[in-house]
Amino acid sequence: MSRFASGFLNGSPAALILGCCVVAACGADGAAGTAGDIQVTEFNAPVDQPAGHYGYGSDASDAEIAGWDIDIRPDGLGLPPGGGTVEDGEFLYEDQCAICHGSFGEGVGRYPVIAGGQGTLTESRPEKTVGSFWPYASTLWDYIHRAMPFAEPESLSDDEVYAISAYVLYLNDLVDYDFELNQGNLASIEMPNKDGFFLDDRPDVKNELCMNNCKDPAAIEITSEPVSLEVSEVSEVSEVPDVQVQSAAVVGKSPGESIYQQACALCHASGVGDAPILGERDAWAGRIAAGRDLMIASSLDGKGVMPPKGGQLQLSDEDIIAAVDYMIAQLAN
Amino acid sequence: MISNSDSTAGLLQRVSAEAQKLPQAERRNFLKNGLLLAGGVIAGGALSANARAAAENLPPNVPGWTRSLGPGVLTEPYGKPSRFEKHIVRRNVPWLTADRIASISFTPLAELDGIITPSSLVFERYHAGIPDIDPEQHRLMIHGLVERPIILTVDDLRRFPGTSMIRFLECPANGGMEWRGAQMDALQFTHGMLSCCEWSGVALSTLLQEVGIRKDAAWILAEGADGSHMSRSVPLAKAMDDALIVYAQNGEPLRPEQGYPIRLINPGWEGNTCVKWLRRLEVGDQPWYHREETSKYTDLLADGRARKFSYEQECNSVVTYPCPEKPLREKGRYEVRGLAWSGRGKIKRVDVSFDGGVNWRTARLKGLVLPKALTRFGLEWDWDGGPAMIQSRAVDETGYVQPTYTQLREARGTNSIYHKNAIHTWRLHENGKVTNVQIR
Ligand code: HEC
Ligand code: HEC
Repeated sequence: MSRFASGFLNGSPAALILGCCVVAACGADGAAGTAGDIQVTEFNAPVDQPAGHYGYGSDASDAEIAGWDIDIRPDGLGLPPGGGTVEDGEFLYEDQCAICHGSFGEGVGRYPVIAGGQGTLTESRPEKTVGSFWPYASTLWDYIHRAMPFAEPESLSDDEVYAISAYVLYLNDLVDYDFELNQGNLASIEMPNKDGFFLDDRPDVKNELCMNNCKDPAAIEITSEPVSLEVSEVSEVSEVPDVQVQSAAVVGKSPGESIYQQACALCHASGVGDAPILGERDAWAGRIAAGRDLMIASSLDGKGVMPPKGGQLQLSDEDIIAAVDYMIAQLAN
Repeated sequence: MISNSDSTAGLLQRVSAEAQKLPQAERRNFLKNGLLLAGGVIAGGALSANARAAAENLPPNVPGWTRSLGPGVLTEPYGKPSRFEKHIVRRNVPWLTADRIASISFTPLAELDGIITPSSLVFERYHAGIPDIDPEQHRLMIHGLVERPIILTVDDLRRFPGTSMIRFLECPANGGMEWRGAQMDALQFTHGMLSCCEWSGVALSTLLQEVGIRKDAAWILAEGADGSHMSRSVPLAKAMDDALIVYAQNGEPLRPEQGYPIRLINPGWEGNTCVKWLRRLEVGDQPWYHREETSKYTDLLADGRARKFSYEQECNSVVTYPCPEKPLREKGRYEVRGLAWSGRGKIKRVDVSFDGGVNWRTARLKGLVLPKALTRFGLEWDWDGGPAMIQSRAVDETGYVQPTYTQLREARGTNSIYHKNAIHTWRLHENGKVTNVQIR
């Protein structure tokens, strides 16, 4: 399966491509520079070995490659067969995405806003979303497939990814409600900001190496200071407020708490998807009444929006139980 | 306040509980004292005992640790820092991200000397938490426009000729909170998405020669094995120049949060291109334009256009002493110290100003001056006890001079998020405290 159609959508930046083997230029095998009395052999990669010189590793079979080769390009290369409608996507999105990104893509709490924002890129608070900023629709399919939903990446079928992508495009007013997104038409979708990017042209600023009387001392003006200044004014050695000191040793963090932070806080700290919030007794009353065993079982097997083990299947059952006990203990204080 | 009958654990708990009632800054000293107590170094009762104990340990007296035995070998088989250094930790800024799974923590630069960042203190940045990878079951697949697509084990990688390099690693968002104005009152947060390690592994060029690259190859996609499948397009020229696939940092296997068992290092380039938990390299003829090179890691300018593939971390520097975490105690002679670095090569020179950029003096570069590595500088200075505006300005071997905020903002506006390398100002107050300011 060749994934390299002679695409032309995004010409590669010629300036960056110096061709092959510039290794020799930066110090070939054994080349050494000296600095004072130390010898520096900076980079000693073998040069110009023929392919297969070492012969390590095993051949990658087509089937092995197919299992991992998930990337999609703007020209559509890599897209699997299939498709999905906005209508199908609406249901899936509400079920799997809206708890974090909001029903309209507006973002819940600090989770990313993924719709709207068109025309804001030059404003003082630009809203960079799929519709206002992303140059290619392929990126959306690729990203949802590789990384979303957040706690269960790669759990969606290809058709589901098409449908949800279609719906996110719809939320951004880029397609109509009766639209079906599929392998054939994804690459032809024009994103509003497709021409909004240009290749790195830095250095774009030039400072002078002035040494004396470089500016008028009387004109120097403080333009900003952190607002927290009043707080640190009381301090001898200023420590930034708002800082979560993660030193487990000082506060004696328990294993249960560590697991909670790692795997459960994602939802139980904020209450995302109606997860009962840590320490909020009302939210937990009914569950406590149903008993610890049931709570553990739900945590191990998943319940409603909560994936099994909070989505972190590498954790042991004991880890999860420790986290549940930690969460229960927070209700006692 | 604290009775001496408590068990160590109980005491620790009470110490930290008491500490919660104190203002932030007093807390640290308090904790230090409390820890001293908890360790049983002294026998007395209340905190004042600390002072008494200190005097007992000073000349002409001989301290207890000089007149007794300590624990034997293998007490800590993998070692750990002195218990008196517990404040030296990575920290995060909770409001920056929605949660800690896709988030960032910062290196405590104020506490470090030399140019090497201990592995445990290298800043963390990841998008789906730290995967728990069994190296026996980890594979690197190399395919695409190659003669022979292969799958390598970690052992296979270790068998190739090895190489080591000391190189900095920096997130392009380092200092990104300061585009609109000074916001963070600590060096750890203004510059702490930065570290420098000795990286060991195999040159990517060696691996690419081994698989045989086809003529039309121009780009490589690097992809991680974590839940975010972090992916970035890297031009082939960089891959053939100085990119490394590394399995070790500072002599030990990579830390899990740094990509164990293997990661890519693109020296001098945006940290996010140095894909961790690397599982796949695909050779292609065009870039992929994935999320981390479109939605993120592109630099939005005032006119609404965005710079893409802005890989290089431009020349930058910062004074690490004094700084908000390390105030001056009294007037007198000091060595002002700092770090400089450039993604384009070696640091050629660093100048320091004490009057907000009116006059400059050239500092001494110290120790190793390596390309694309942190470089130490220092300058002796007599502080007269008056207020000062301390700045550093680095120049790299390409002749590029670190710019001012005014210059950067004129060129880019304030919505860029990434690649803020402006000359930084610490305001030294008459009482020796240091705060973060921006000046014009
Ligand atoms: C538990 C919360 C959660 C759920 C559920 C979730 N996401 Fe996300 N999403 C996130 C987080 C967190 C990020 C940012 C991750 C990062 O920065 O690495 C994100 C990022 C994104 C982005 C990129 C935003 C940007 O500006 O770059 C898109 C698009 C997206 N999610 C779509 C989806 C879709 C579609 C679903 C449902 C299939 C979904 N998400 C489900 C939390 C969630
Ligand atoms: C993706 C979000 C999410 C994550 C991550 C998550 N939870 Fe939950 N959790 C929920 C939601 C939502 C509920 C409510 C489910 C319901 O009642 O339908 C819940 C309910 C629970 C309950 C009550 C179960 C019951 O029987 O009523 C427990 C206990 C719990 N979670 C523990 C955990 C632990 C332990 C972890 C980490 C290992 C975790 N959760 C991670 C979303 C999450």
